Amino acid sequence: MASYLVAVAIVALIYMLLTVGLNLQYGYTGLINFGHVAFFAIGAYASALLTLKGWPLAPAFVVGMVVAGLAAYPVGLLSLRLSDDYLAVVTLGFAETVRLVIQEEKWLTRGVQGLPGIPRIFQSLGVGGYAELATLVTLVACNVAAVALLVHLVRSPYGRLIQAIRDDEVAVQALGKDPARLKVQVFMLGAALAGLAGAFYAHFITYISPDQFLSLVTFYVWIAVIIGGPGRTSGAVVGSLILMIFIEGSRFARDLIPGVSEVQMASVRLAIVGLALILFTIYLPQGIMGKRKV
Amino acid sequence: MSFTDFVNLLINGTVEGLLIALPALALTLVMGIARFPNAATGDYMTISAFAAVGVQALLPKSIVLAALGAVAAGIAIAVVFHLWVFRALQGRPLVASLVASIGIAFLARSVLTFFVGHDQQGFQLPLVRAWNFDGIRVLPTDLIVAGVAVAAMAALFAILHLTPIGRQMRAVADNPDLGRASGIRVRRVLTVLWAMVGTLCALGGLLFGAKAIVTPEFGWELLIPAFAAMIVGGIGSPVGAVVGGVLLGIAQELSVPFVGPSYKIAVAFGLLLLVLLVRPRGLFGVATAAR
Amino acid sequence: MTLLVAKNIVKHFDGLCVLDDVSFEVPERGLTGIVGTNGAGKSTLFAVVSGQFAADSGHVDFAGHDIGQLPPMKRARRGLGRTFQVPREFGHLTVRENLLAAAPRAHGETLLSVFLGWRSVAAEDAELGAKADHWIDFLNLKAVAGKPASTLSGGQKKLLELGRVLMLEPKCVLLDEPFAGVNPVLIGEISDKLRELNTSRGIAFVVIEHHLEALKALVQHLYVMDQGRVIADGDPAEVLEDPRVHEAYMGGVI
Repeated sequence: MASYLVAVAIVALIYMLLTVGLNLQYGYTGLINFGHVAFFAIGAYASALLTLKGWPLAPAFVVGMVVAGLAAYPVGLLSLRLSDDYLAVVTLGFAETVRLVIQEEKWLTRGVQGLPGIPRIFQSLGVGGYAELATLVTLVACNVAAVALLVHLVRSPYGRLIQAIRDDEVAVQALGKDPARLKVQVFMLGAALAGLAGAFYAHFITYISPDQFLSLVTFYVWIAVIIGGPGRTSGAVVGSLILMIFIEGSRFARDLIPGVSEVQMASVRLAIVGLALILFTIYLPQGIMGKRKV
Repeated sequence: MSFTDFVNLLINGTVEGLLIALPALALTLVMGIARFPNAATGDYMTISAFAAVGVQALLPKSIVLAALGAVAAGIAIAVVFHLWVFRALQGRPLVASLVASIGIAFLARSVLTFFVGHDQQGFQLPLVRAWNFDGIRVLPTDLIVAGVAVAAMAALFAILHLTPIGRQMRAVADNPDLGRASGIRVRRVLTVLWAMVGTLCALGGLLFGAKAIVTPEFGWELLIPAFAAMIVGGIGSPVGAVVGGVLLGIAQELSVPFVGPSYKIAVAFGLLLLVLLVRPRGLFGVATAAR
Repeated sequence: MTLLVAKNIVKHFDGLCVLDDVSFEVPERGLTGIVGTNGAGKSTLFAVVSGQFAADSGHVDFAGHDIGQLPPMKRARRGLGRTFQVPREFGHLTVRENLLAAAPRAHGETLLSVFLGWRSVAAEDAELGAKADHWIDFLNLKAVAGKPASTLSGGQKKLLELGRVLMLEPKCVLLDEPFAGVNPVLIGEISDKLRELNTSRGIAFVVIEHHLEALKALVQHLYVMDQGRVIADGDPAEVLEDPRVHEAYMGGVI
């Protein structure tokens, strides 16, 4: 039981990193990133491939983060030229293309067969559950650091300006400031967080394949951002926890309801995500933690 | 690549392009009038196609009824979600409608897969052999597909330019406030708009199913190519959507000898990026995607 | 010396000619007004001069330089500010934060300073805060300084926009209907403030307005636009007596 809870907590914290990153991009800066899973995948594969080649974990994690952040640079540049809704579809297309490349370039990624045997985090601590606990603690530390840095960023003049950009970009330009620089930076920061989450994911699950990086993951994170409340870091934390409860809860629910297969449960989960996106957008766009309307 | 191969690819590409043009038209209509990309467009196609499959399962002899079932389903789903979701979001920032449309896409697809599973389905169509002109192959099905697509587009253009409701739709697209002020019943215009969107998606789904096997994901997978076709042709331009679709279809087919068949969506995405970087207005567009 | 010159501006939208060979100029420390019926093209003119839209043809010169190719932010950096007909406040930020966000050359707005330069950023913010507080006092917004800008009334938002653009230390400000939605009692007060800014800080103002009486008292030179053209310009009192101007407004809404 304890090891199950630790595992759930680990996945929850991975989602939290993803949510904090997307919240910075969308909640605070107004960037509609529908391709978040791409950077999650890039971080995961980069770190996995390096460690499978013999690299130690820590530098591989860092490289995963950096590569994901750098990959966001061209996408970020695009955001300068596109209004919100086009950025959304372009980032979506980017994510689908990334997954396609992972699937097709078998020489690098082994395609749909995936990469098994990825080194565990804290492998040296053996199989007694200590490795998982140590992973959990590390993840908690990472999340605390990410949240702390984010809160600091948001309260700074930089944070003021990105929120101004979200509220009215034309006015920002009329005041002589260039939104472009910040938008690209924010895009890269959020992507780097996603890359870090991806590295943790790869080395926790120890097997990754393109199927784990469907666009559905992006929208799980969107649900977490929306439910928690865009533009509030507390919202990102709360939202990702609610998301985990939902995902894990649905596994239990299936055990309670006879006659529902795992595949059907996946459909139910998708339906609930879709419904939640619709209902929260209409009735509670500011989310649970939000006071002000977005 | 021999000449024959080239022509075959060209023909395939044109037919596929006409197929993509249908959801591209649906997208461009919504962009022009409601001003947001409807991410549920693909899944409207999927639902309609599966409705046709369902009708065929019950009444195996009638292709026409299956087609009608698809169109009915398409119109129903488009209008219902407009009335329930998009109308409630009028006046809100466009991201709201966009995110909600993702929700609709997921909801529609998941309800479908819950009852029907993930298996692929096919339409029961009479088997036909391709005509062969010295190596240049033409499938009669393809001719029908192309014909129906062109007819649908012609009907759309006729409605937009020759009927009062079409004129009103174009007026609302140009300037919604002015349209309302001139006494146009915007509510009615929007309902008609979504009915048309549903019809276009239904036809797209039907024709796709006539050519290929349908899975619950096929509509979603066509979203990026449809969007690319719309951008290439120019947002808000129905002519652009068709031309863009055909160009995209041809580009995708011609790329196959070079990058393989799996990379079609990447080709669509690449073309999309190219247009956005070089000429965001697209071929015939008036509104720009860029700032 | 002429500060701002717009010459022969032509602009079409979807085939409709919105600006048809429009020219105007503003001297240094000038107070210029632009009036016209709705749809005369006034706001479009501001949009072209500020760089939001590109003109189909024509020149815009500012402080002796041709700024026609520059994007809005570069024009603003040279000292040409503008406010908007419908206020564009940063809704989620407080009034004070709105002004702080407008301050130019703020080192605190770089990523590096966020993580490495806490103390200097704090010092800079204090300095900018003093400036912002000065404008907040000047514009009588002290009562709402800590409130989110979205909660302000229409008139207050207009004042907020003015405060924001003043943080820029502009040489010339394009004011698009600064009195709209403002309590009529306050219009005189705002007029006085504009005049004060003009004399004490040498800021030139170009004002689009519908409140003809208030505008007449404020500006030195008045342009009248109708259907995309300038139909009269000169001394405000004389221009408003001009029969052509009267004719243009017959049946038009002022």
